[in-house]
Amino acid sequence: MITTPNFINKVVTGITTWARVNSPWIIHFNSGSCNGCDIEILATLTPYYDIERFGIKLKGSPRHADILVCTGPVTRQARERLLRVYEQMPEPKFVVAVGSCGISGGTFAGCYNVVGHIDEVLPVDAYIPGCPPRPEAIIDGVVKLLNHLKEGTRPQPIRPEIGDHA
Amino acid sequence: MNTEARLQRAKDALAPFTRETFAPETNRLDVVIDAGDLTKATAAMLAADCGYLSAITGLDLGVEAGYMEALYHFCDAAAVTSLRVRLSREGQPEIDSVADQVPVASFYERELSEMLGVTVVGTPDPTHLFLPDDWPDGVFPNRRDFKIEDAAPVERDVPKIPEQGRMGNKFIVPIGPQHPALKEPGHFEFAVDGEIITGARMRLGYVHRGIEKATEQRNWIQNLYLLERICGICSHTHTSAYAMGVEKLAQVEVSPRALAIRELIAGMERIHSHLLWLGVVAHEAGFDTLFMYSWRDRETIMNLLEEITGNRVNYSISVLGGVKQDIGPAESKSIHKAMDYLEERIRYYLDIVSTDAMFLQRTRGIGTMTRDEAILYGALGPTARASGLVRDVRLDSPYGAYKHFPISIVTDERGDLEAKFAVRLKELLVTCFTIRTLVDNLPAGDLTVRFPRKVPAGETVSRVEAPRGEAFYFIKSEGGESPTRIKIRTPSLCNWTSVLNKAVGHQLADMPMMISGMDPCFSCNDRMVTVRRKNGSQTMSWFDLRAYGIEKYKSR
Repeated sequence: MITTPNFINKVVTGITTWARVNSPWIIHFNSGSCNGCDIEILATLTPYYDIERFGIKLKGSPRHADILVCTGPVTRQARERLLRVYEQMPEPKFVVAVGSCGISGGTFAGCYNVVGHIDEVLPVDAYIPGCPPRPEAIIDGVVKLLNHLKEGTRPQPIRPEIGDHA
Repeated sequence: MNTEARLQRAKDALAPFTRETFAPETNRLDVVIDAGDLTKATAAMLAADCGYLSAITGLDLGVEAGYMEALYHFCDAAAVTSLRVRLSREGQPEIDSVADQVPVASFYERELSEMLGVTVVGTPDPTHLFLPDDWPDGVFPNRRDFKIEDAAPVERDVPKIPEQGRMGNKFIVPIGPQHPALKEPGHFEFAVDGEIITGARMRLGYVHRGIEKATEQRNWIQNLYLLERICGICSHTHTSAYAMGVEKLAQVEVSPRALAIRELIAGMERIHSHLLWLGVVAHEAGFDTLFMYSWRDRETIMNLLEEITGNRVNYSISVLGGVKQDIGPAESKSIHKAMDYLEERIRYYLDIVSTDAMFLQRTRGIGTMTRDEAILYGALGPTARASGLVRDVRLDSPYGAYKHFPISIVTDERGDLEAKFAVRLKELLVTCFTIRTLVDNLPAGDLTVRFPRKVPAGETVSRVEAPRGEAFYFIKSEGGESPTRIKIRTPSLCNWTSVLNKAVGHQLADMPMMISGMDPCFSCNDRMVTVRRKNGSQTMSWFDLRAYGIEKYKSR
């Protein structure tokens, strides 16, 4: 029957997935980056690359956001802030690590004030490599994440292998 | 006045305190003084008009030598006078504060004390500047015997960022460290009395990575790529300053063509940085159309940078001994075409920011800084030039190709936000002109010359004009494959003093514009900072504050 709980569940899930895929709002946090990735993320939002066509909007508050976009290695002072921003986000939440530093600590691996890469602090759902990644690469990474959202699965990314930076 | 005369003037001023003098380079004078004479020597330098305090380098000479040095670098056009104060490595070395004479020195002194373990007596705020709150006591990263294992986090009660509430009849409005507008974490607390700001404080260090220490563990060539990543916006500035200093130490003569290409890229970097700034400040004012326009036009220069260097952000064009890529006829054609487009657009923006009535409400007469204040607070770059203070390394101490391709300096007497727009946009037009001249008159020569693996022992100072002001490098080599010490002082650090001091007495609604107006760059800085604090608190995110500023002006 049309009113069975299963059917209502299905409809509700369908609507939320549709809404989530079409308006994934992001929040951006720089936990020790050099700005390179940050300006590329910002460039992705502006008319030339126009990521808003996927319904993506940069939000100021973690409570409005679905995706946390992280850049840079995690410094000791920023670690607690990063966790706090993540905790404030509503479920389901996703984390995208942008740039080499976010993936492996990059050129800053081993510095005294660096805790490590983002994976050591938060579970990461997508990695976008590059120093910094081009806006096209950022769009590509985000679209891959959106495809997973559409299927209702959580991506299982493999962190790119890195050499020994020390 | 030439450089010798300037150095002689400094020498005369310092004569009563001098223990020893050296002249390591033709434009430098090193004067060894006693720690007790520091404040008097600083006063003598300022009284004789021997330049401004540009940086303080903390130098550990190692366990065998048994002492450390604090170097107070005064820059006066091309002349650099360094006061060297010797300090014991044992016990608790002490030095007097000069922050009452030079306000910006409070930042340098905090850095000195936490990085080298020197107690600065009488400094306004001795708390941590760069290092995290959980840093152990008695561990100083810039000492030669520092080990990363010693720096394990310790449990302690750290002052939490205030949540909400009020104390007495004052509010503190904390902003950050997470805020969407600046793209970088910094934490500000403004004490407000109603609408008016009565005190300002900031805590950075969220992006502090420890690059200065890391340079000592990497070789000369690896450092080029590490230092490039101090800041993604002015990456070329850092590689140029570093390469220039190391080439001076190694006595390697770089070809004029390579120098001209470096200047060309520096000009393009300035265009991208200023257009980025224009967009961000327009966004703070609620003028998003200008934000989108300027960022669209910025893509022109990004494409050009990519065409020439292969990279949009970290160009990696400088190498030790020259540059990697040449400018051919195809590139010069694209450069001219891009300049045609950009010049037209910049003129249009200049027209908007100086005539649009709505926009002028947000900029005219806001944050006005007089020339004397700019000198006192040690402002640099466009922030200083908008107050009529001509401070530009490209003019004061022409380096590289600037000797042959000089630039004209844009200044403005008004000192408010409007003047900052005018200075930066006119500077863009000048830069476009310089780029055209450079492309048309590129000198002949090899791109690179051979560079040795080891750099001879010595110390050098290298100064470069970044888009935000003077970047200061002090490089010391002991003849090995790695540097012994690299001290970096970036321009945003100096400009913070001016913004935080000018904030007092302004409306809270003007703060986002004023902070963005100096074009702050946290990643360069955090490698630092604070001013004042009062009690009480109310939480307002940067986003809310920005929205509040826009609303406030809408309802007037």
